[in-house]
Amino acid sequence: MENNYQLSRIHNYIHGLMSKEEMFQLEREALEDPFLQDAIDGYRLQNGVDTRQLSLLQQRLTRRVEDTVATRHAQYFTWQRLAIGATAGVLFVTLLALLYFKHFNGKAERTTDVELSEPENKVSVQPLLDGGDATPREGWKMFEQYLNQKSGAPATGGEITVNFIIDKNGVPTDIRAEGQPESSLLDEAIRLLQKGPKWQGTKGRLKIAFPVKDEKNQAQANVIKPPHCFGIEKK
Amino acid sequence: MNEKELLQHYKTSGDLSTLGKLYSPYMSLLYGVCFKYLQDPDRSQDAVMQIFEELIQKLRHYEVDNFKSWLHVYSKNYCLMQLRKDKRTTQVDIEDNLFESEQKLNDTSETKWEEKDFEKLEGCMRTLNREQQECVRLFYLEQKCYKDIADVTGYDLNKVKSAIQNGKRNLKICMERKENGK
Repeated sequence: MENNYQLSRIHNYIHGLMSKEEMFQLEREALEDPFLQDAIDGYRLQNGVDTRQLSLLQQRLTRRVEDTVATRHAQYFTWQRLAIGATAGVLFVTLLALLYFKHFNGKAERTTDVELSEPENKVSVQPLLDGGDATPREGWKMFEQYLNQKSGAPATGGEITVNFIIDKNGVPTDIRAEGQPESSLLDEAIRLLQKGPKWQGTKGRLKIAFPVKDEKNQAQANVIKPPHCFGIEKK
Repeated sequence: MNEKELLQHYKTSGDLSTLGKLYSPYMSLLYGVCFKYLQDPDRSQDAVMQIFEELIQKLRHYEVDNFKSWLHVYSKNYCLMQLRKDKRTTQVDIEDNLFESEQKLNDTSETKWEEKDFEKLEGCMRTLNREQQECVRLFYLEQKCYKDIADVTGYDLNKVKSAIQNGKRNLKICMERKENGK
């Protein structure tokens, strides 16, 4: 290395270990190279070259460079770890989400079944306002509940529209069906209305829909699932 | 990679080990330079390391043509700043230091010397003071080393050195003036 060569020359120069020609040569170079001249001046002030000092200095530089490299490596690994951690985190969340949605979707399916089947399994009533002003005293909801509890409609189900007049006691009388409904349906509608809750108003017009009855489940007369629901239930 | 390539590589990459390779060969010379100004081994070592720290930033931004000269001037300025900071007064010979800032760069490359150039040089030699004339002659013409010149003339070794440095500078100035003035 040029540097070490110069260093030993400086050392030899300061300690008078050079021939006159060599000294002249170095002095000549130093005249053209102020850097070298300054270094010579410095070492002369120090009374020579201390190689131990210089190798310590060299070590400091090496350590300084390596430290930075090590730091960068450490940071690099940290980033790597972070990346792995983040990926794991994302995977975990995804898994949880999948599990949740699977669970949620299953629940939703079941709920849908009920909702789908509900209107068709229940007796529903639709007040037709153009034909009357009567409303059940306890409200439509209670009336519908009553119908579902007490209904004994034929297994085939069906729809019927009835007109009636409310007497002074709040009981529907003079119940007539529109069109030509099955007699069992009309009988049932009359029975339900006459034995049911009291009404207010003067006359009423209703459309009552009876569901198809489940043959296997006679006990729950109103809760009848439509044919397409059986498939789902079996699954 | 040579020095220029190392410089360029560091400038673009900021890779510290490249800077280390670039810097390491100059460390012992730098230590000498720092010791010349700071005159303390520990401070000089720290200065060498501190200069390295500063280069980490500087060399990424500055275009450096001649790294060696640049580094020399940079470190010298660094040391002088240190001295100014602790307001320590040191005897720095202005003549001595004027020489230092001249760079090898303006060293006139092998120009052919003609008879009239030698006459001019002889004329210029006579403008130098006696000490400078004497030392320059002994050094450049008789190729004697400083120690011998000191022995012959009886001057102090440092006086010989600065007489030659300053004599050389004055000669150069004189020659250039004559060149331009014709």
